[in-house]
Amino acid sequence: MMTCPRIRLLTLICVAAAAACAQSPTGRIVGAANSFLSTLDAQQRQKATFAYNDEAQRKRWSNLPVRMVPRAGLSMGELSERQRSAAMALVAAALSKRGFEKVQQIMDGDQVLKENEKNNPMFGKDLFFLSILGTPSEKDPWMIQFGGHHLALNITIAGSAGILTPSLTAAQPAWYTLNGKTVRPLGQENDKAFALLNALDENQKKQAILNYKVADLVLGPRQDGKTIQPEGLKASALNDKQRAMLLDLISEWAGIVHESAAAARMAEIKAGIAETWFAWSGPTTAAPGKNGTAYYRVQGPALVIEYAPQPLGGDPSLHIHTIYRDPTNDYGRKPASK
Amino acid sequence: MRLVPIVLVATSSCWAHRLDEYLQATMFSVAQDRIEAQIRLTPGVAVFPFVMASIGEDRNAYAERVLRDLSLSVDGVRLRLALVSVKFPALEEMREGLGEIQIDFRASVPAGGSNRTLVFENHHQNAIAAYLVNSLVPRDPAIRLAAQRRNENQSTYRLDYTQEGARPMSGEAVLIAAAMVLVTARFTKTLLAADERR
Repeated sequence: MMTCPRIRLLTLICVAAAAACAQSPTGRIVGAANSFLSTLDAQQRQKATFAYNDEAQRKRWSNLPVRMVPRAGLSMGELSERQRSAAMALVAAALSKRGFEKVQQIMDGDQVLKENEKNNPMFGKDLFFLSILGTPSEKDPWMIQFGGHHLALNITIAGSAGILTPSLTAAQPAWYTLNGKTVRPLGQENDKAFALLNALDENQKKQAILNYKVADLVLGPRQDGKTIQPEGLKASALNDKQRAMLLDLISEWAGIVHESAAAARMAEIKAGIAETWFAWSGPTTAAPGKNGTAYYRVQGPALVIEYAPQPLGGDPSLHIHTIYRDPTNDYGRKPASK
Repeated sequence: MRLVPIVLVATSSCWAHRLDEYLQATMFSVAQDRIEAQIRLTPGVAVFPFVMASIGEDRNAYAERVLRDLSLSVDGVRLRLALVSVKFPALEEMREGLGEIQIDFRASVPAGGSNRTLVFENHHQNAIAAYLVNSLVPRDPAIRLAAQRRNENQSTYRLDYTQEGARPMSGEAVLIAAAMVLVTARFTKTLLAADERR
């Protein structure tokens, strides 16, 4: 049976969805942000809001637990049920249905980790933070940040644009059982990449597979605005079906943001697909229904995606970090500077 | 809805941080007359005591030791690495496997042709190291990076690049070249004279 918080969250999401019929996506997100802010007292509001040009807050994100890298904003654990529902409704409004589901699965995974580790206070769903930079507006740029351990969403709203870069999604455990169902928060990211690799011919594979180990993300947290020399297989050498598979893989990140922003982003990525590279390092097989242990990178003119299993004291297939960047437009700097 | 406790394959794998490796990520930035680089070093929890003992009290001296374990050459000429800056994290962060030591260094590149090859080797703490090495796309449009090659653990890196409009030689190089031309001319003249005598 569903508990009150879940029912309230669903109700709020339904209300938001109904209102959305009459609103633009940005209008819907602004409405959800104002609804959330209206539930806060003055002290909480002060804690949750930052100036749009607050660079320190903008860059205060990490893959690490919040005890190790403290976040600012309001944590879910310090909110009432009503406030928490409003907070999650804001996150849901800014994301696609699939993106919000992924975020919930990452958060559920962190709760599983907490319970598996004898209620370790370093983990859990209470330790995800929400903050707003700037004033929610349909016209002027502002930002929503939501994240904690293994999650960092930096969503810049600038008019009709919704920019999700840089963002980090990760999972530990990368598969778990919840209410009798197996959950793999980054399962599609793994499965679609393996499908693409297996669709390559031998010559393409030779180019795509790097002959060296990649131990971690190259452009993880604190590596903003950097563009490295691409490597691997250039998508200009792919056939139409393979390119479609690559775009489908990219959509696992580009499609996290709400649908109309995701469509604009995918159009941008598609326009540069011939100049996009796919590189793979590590084993080329994985157990069915599990994530593999290989690193891969997708890099285009306005895109960097890295998928890096973490050999940090356990099975790397159970602990995955990914990063999603647009070095030309991280934090939505392009529209913000217009 | 309550989360159902589960048993995972690896039950004690909650490590959120590096464990038994010393991650060393180098990033190069190539310009016409110089190479700039940053190396980010993150000791894992298990190797922290060992790494800390090797760092000692003088952190600049440690950075210099790291540089001595590196080798950088362009077109076969080994370059002198100059330390630019060193940044150390709080000890506590390093103890938890989070702290990142940042060492920035640079090297002057002698003038050369349009096709150039950079070779980098990192041997620092190679028994526990996990190496990463990459190059940034150059800001200077006259420089184009071509092939990158690495060995399996990325301790060796080779980068081929081209540069348009290679720089004119320095005054010192011009003098050396002029001297070589003179010596060659004199030598040729002597040989010709000897031929004539025969």
